[in-house]
Amino acid sequence: MLDSARSPRIHAARTSRASRASVRISTLLVMGALTLSACASGPQNAGGTSPAASGEAVDGGTLVYAEVTPINNWQTQAARFYEKSNVLNSVLDRLAYFDPDKGELVPWIASAFSANADSTEFTFTIRPGVTFSDGAPLDAAAVKANLDSFGLGVPAAQIQPNVDFAGYQSSEVIGTDQVLVTLGAPNSNFLRATSSVTAGLVSPATLQKDAAGQSAISSISGSGPFVYESEKPDEEVVLAKREGYAWAPEGAENPGEAHLDKVVIKYLPEVAHRAGAVQSGQVDLVRGLQPVDEAALASSGNQVLAADGVDLTANMAAVRTGSGKLADPAVRQALQAGIDRQTIKDTVLSESYTLAGSVLNHQAPGFVDLSADLAYNPEKARQLLDDAGWTEGSDGIRAKDGEKLEVTVTSSNNSVVIKPAFELIEQQWRQIGVQLNNRAGDNTFLTTAMPDPKVEFFGTRQFIYGGLGPIFEPANNTMTHTSDPDLNALFAAERAAAPGPERDKFLAAEQQALVVDKALSLVLWDEVQVYGAHRNTHIEFTSGTAPIFQGAWKADG
Amino acid sequence: MARYLLHRFGQALLVVWLAYTLIFLAVQLLPSDPVTIFLTSDSAVDQAAIDTMKAQYGYDQPLLLQYLSQLGALLQGDVGYSLTSGEAVTERIGGAIGSTLALAASALAAAVVIALAVVAAATLAPSPVLRRALANLPPLFSAVPVFWLGLVLLELLSIRLGVLSLFPDGSFLSLAVPVLVLAVHVSAPMAQVLLKSVEQVYRQPFIDVLRAKGASPVWIFCRHALQNAAGPALSILGITVGTLFAGSVITETVFARAGLGSVVLQAVTTQDVPLVQGLVLLTATVFVAVNLLVDLLHPLLDPRILKDARQGSAPALAS
Repeated sequence: MLDSARSPRIHAARTSRASRASVRISTLLVMGALTLSACASGPQNAGGTSPAASGEAVDGGTLVYAEVTPINNWQTQAARFYEKSNVLNSVLDRLAYFDPDKGELVPWIASAFSANADSTEFTFTIRPGVTFSDGAPLDAAAVKANLDSFGLGVPAAQIQPNVDFAGYQSSEVIGTDQVLVTLGAPNSNFLRATSSVTAGLVSPATLQKDAAGQSAISSISGSGPFVYESEKPDEEVVLAKREGYAWAPEGAENPGEAHLDKVVIKYLPEVAHRAGAVQSGQVDLVRGLQPVDEAALASSGNQVLAADGVDLTANMAAVRTGSGKLADPAVRQALQAGIDRQTIKDTVLSESYTLAGSVLNHQAPGFVDLSADLAYNPEKARQLLDDAGWTEGSDGIRAKDGEKLEVTVTSSNNSVVIKPAFELIEQQWRQIGVQLNNRAGDNTFLTTAMPDPKVEFFGTRQFIYGGLGPIFEPANNTMTHTSDPDLNALFAAERAAAPGPERDKFLAAEQQALVVDKALSLVLWDEVQVYGAHRNTHIEFTSGTAPIFQGAWKADG
Repeated sequence: MARYLLHRFGQALLVVWLAYTLIFLAVQLLPSDPVTIFLTSDSAVDQAAIDTMKAQYGYDQPLLLQYLSQLGALLQGDVGYSLTSGEAVTERIGGAIGSTLALAASALAAAVVIALAVVAAATLAPSPVLRRALANLPPLFSAVPVFWLGLVLLELLSIRLGVLSLFPDGSFLSLAVPVLVLAVHVSAPMAQVLLKSVEQVYRQPFIDVLRAKGASPVWIFCRHALQNAAGPALSILGITVGTLFAGSVITETVFARAGLGSVVLQAVTTQDVPLVQGLVLLTATVFVAVNLLVDLLHPLLDPRILKDARQGSAPALAS
């Protein structure tokens, strides 16, 4: 447990009678004849007073964690999805750790790190005495091998470079315990990129394996607080605590071995069972709770934990201008002003969610609050659309030169709330004369819509360990499909600026341009992963929303 | 007989080859190649990285060459490599198919038992009202979605009563409940067709003769009605394989079981096209194989089919 990690917001059972009743009614609709007595029974203590929320850590025990969907590729660079990074976070250590309370990187496997003045050279001093679970030392040579695999890929194993390592040229071992990284272009985000699970360090022996070998969790050796013990493919993975682990990130409350003996990762693809799985004690922790279940779970004395996605963008509708309908920034600004985000929060989200103030998370370094420019204002939206020449037709939908203002949104079904949110936006835009064709959550459509710049919106959130540049900059970027010269100049300036006030200045300019002036990202709510935890489970989360199993414990062992 | 067998086998092979070609062409209709789709599924990727991976998987070759080399590899049992894990597609599918076969086979057996029981009860029940009520069970089974029944049973048995684990734990119930859920759905078309053709048989004059000779209702049903009505039900069994497969995917997801269901789900959500291709090919092959088996069994039940074939007309399946 990192004392520096924020305590997740815990929801006590402060639920009003009205909303609890509405939960019951919707449950009734779904469950038909099933009796609901269990829903109201159980201890009514608030989540905040659960035995695991405070008190002394307990050693021993097995924590059962239910992820959303099984995966079969555990290769480090491919850990860009929660279901991978949430598990690998406890198996692979990184050079640095992002401490969201301090808002900065702290030492982990690198006991010290520094950059040259123009952010093209980085020096890491490797902590002594760290070993991988296969016995190999985690020394400077091992770090170099890992950095090369991230920066250059592993061609022999068809492993592609890590996108956050763009510009990587080479690493060299200096002296006994230092590694010097050279980049081809300045990138002050490079240090942050080394804190990502996608930059998790594996044993040199693992890097020698072929693609299938590096993808199998059974053959990956890391230096993390847990090691692979067994798996039933597609059903469960069992991790056991690493004996002798003594190299947690700086400031961690538990610097050594994990409290838990084992972590069992199971899979619960069915969203409707996640709250029940915790309530019935079958799992200790579950990810992907739907908002409608939060109140019932909290009122049963268990915990609803919101892990803030500080390392991610806000949830947004990224704008593509390929169809021409949204070519005018004023139209895009009108659409943002036409989204009543408070109503979205009140209707389909919950108290666990925070409305976005920018494309960055409220706690992210360099965040600027643009809420005033993002406020719901249908009058302003209508005025902007009128001025842009889109006039309302007899069917209430605006048109210009015979073309209707009919736009389409695509998104995956990864988020439990994105589809209902866009259903509300569809209604809200209808009020300002815009027709939204809502294809959110339709993964089949996503296949064709992702590479299609004519599909106007992509509902998503992204990890930004390399800053906003890697996701918005390339000409083929799937967010906007546009390479905007003004934005790109800002991204380049941001990477060349020294961390601190100078870089924050460019970060602020990027956010202003992306969200307000160009309105290429219609921001919705800060990324958050809502977990359900049993009342006896003590767990905290990283800034990338991964559970920290090393610091976790169970009150009754 | 040998000619009939050859004819059926040849037809089956042709269908599988056509299915394979169709899958290959369908992939070409996608907006870009499988590697680009896969790599761009979540964020922007360097074009150079895409090109390297395309070359590694052979997607930079001309279309005809891709088709011929893929077909050549297929004949040697190589269906390509999963883009997600780098594992051979055959290994990925091979690792998951056992669990699905166990589920599907048990469910099919259970479905046949349920269908027979429902038809027997609906035919032999003493009161006409009861017979009519029982005859309406198959449409009801067919109307209940697999996922709904699974969810309700899990909610009731696992979360409310605590007698069943939400996760497969090797206990009898953790296999029996999913099997039952799937069997109920699969039994519906079988029972419907069987019931219909049993009713037809009962309208035949020889049934009256049997009754006049004093045969018991149970004897007539088991010895005469069922045997004569089995043909159409057997044909339905062949078609049911599709339902069974789709149902397995849903059942496995609801019950968090390993198997082809989760492979399908992962292949589709991660846009792992080679894996999807392998799965579609497998489905087509199983479908063709089961229907071939049904066709081969048919002459045993109804020798007229072989006679028709000998006379030169296409083999007529029972209508």
